Amino acid sequence: MSSEAKLDFLKELANIGTGHATTALSQMLGGRLFQLVVPDAQMLPFSEAAEYIGGLEQLVAGIFIVVSGDVGGHMAFLIPFDSAMVLVKLLTGDDSGEMNELALSALQELGNIMITSYLNALSKMTDFLMAPSVPGVAVDMAGAVWESVLAGAEVTNEVTVIRTEFFADGESIEGNIIFLPDDDDFKKIARVLGLGEM
Amino acid sequence: MAKTVMITDDTAFMRMTLKNVIEKNGYTVVAEAADGEEAVALYKEFKPDMVTMDITMPKMDGITAIKEIMKFDPTAKIIVCSAMGQKPMVIEALSAGAKDFLVKPFDAERVVESLRKISS
Repeated sequence: MSSEAKLDFLKELANIGTGHATTALSQMLGGRLFQLVVPDAQMLPFSEAAEYIGGLEQLVAGIFIVVSGDVGGHMAFLIPFDSAMVLVKLLTGDDSGEMNELALSALQELGNIMITSYLNALSKMTDFLMAPSVPGVAVDMAGAVWESVLAGAEVTNEVTVIRTEFFADGESIEGNIIFLPDDDDFKKIARVLGLGEM
Repeated sequence: MAKTVMITDDTAFMRMTLKNVIEKNGYTVVAEAADGEEAVALYKEFKPDMVTMDITMPKMDGITAIKEIMKFDPTAKIIVCSAMGQKPMVIEALSAGAKDFLVKPFDAERVVESLRKISS
């Protein structure tokens, strides 16, 4: 399979996963409609990976999870700080704009449910177990959060990044879900879905 | 007397959400555990009529906690409330002794329906 076909396949996985994740988010927020941007999938040398997400100095809330089981990898959910505070207000009723313990806990749970819904969808398609770890949560500059995700993924050479952005119509809620699959494991996914060797 | 419930979840937000739903429907929340270890200890202390159990938690996961609680009390009534709805995990939880499996995000009604079904 060509690398273009491989990236197309990853985009399709991201689309399905993020579709389920935003459906879960919509359910938690009483039925808002979210739009997905066409996913971006890239294989990047490590030297370029750190710059990948852009807006490195923007303040974000990040939730990250290690995936283990039949398919392993790393996942992150990054939300601009303003969006995070809108979500906190909708979830907890607290509109103080403070990132307190309850706010962080609500974001951690929301990120956990979204990322796990993403994994549940892929698991259903493939019959592979994709178990999430206890999520970590951080509020920091995007560059710092992203670097800690890459450090956790122990990227040395090249990394496959699949990112899907979503946003709500008419409200400032937006975010990114990023999946860094372990290289050998998504070959397994392709095989089980009958896409041949990658 | 109102039936008693213990809530197990590692996030304070989810414990609060579940507690609101459960207490609004006439049950008493007697204990809240933030991980599996705490759940096992608090179960022994409070012997609640029912338990809600998350799966992915620090220190001890929910599956292990279900097994430990069932060892102590084979009649324990445990409902799993987890985002992790993948088939192998559901099967493992049910065979460990859980009576129901709710996948987050869930509706309040679904939680109440499960508590009713299990307590009757």
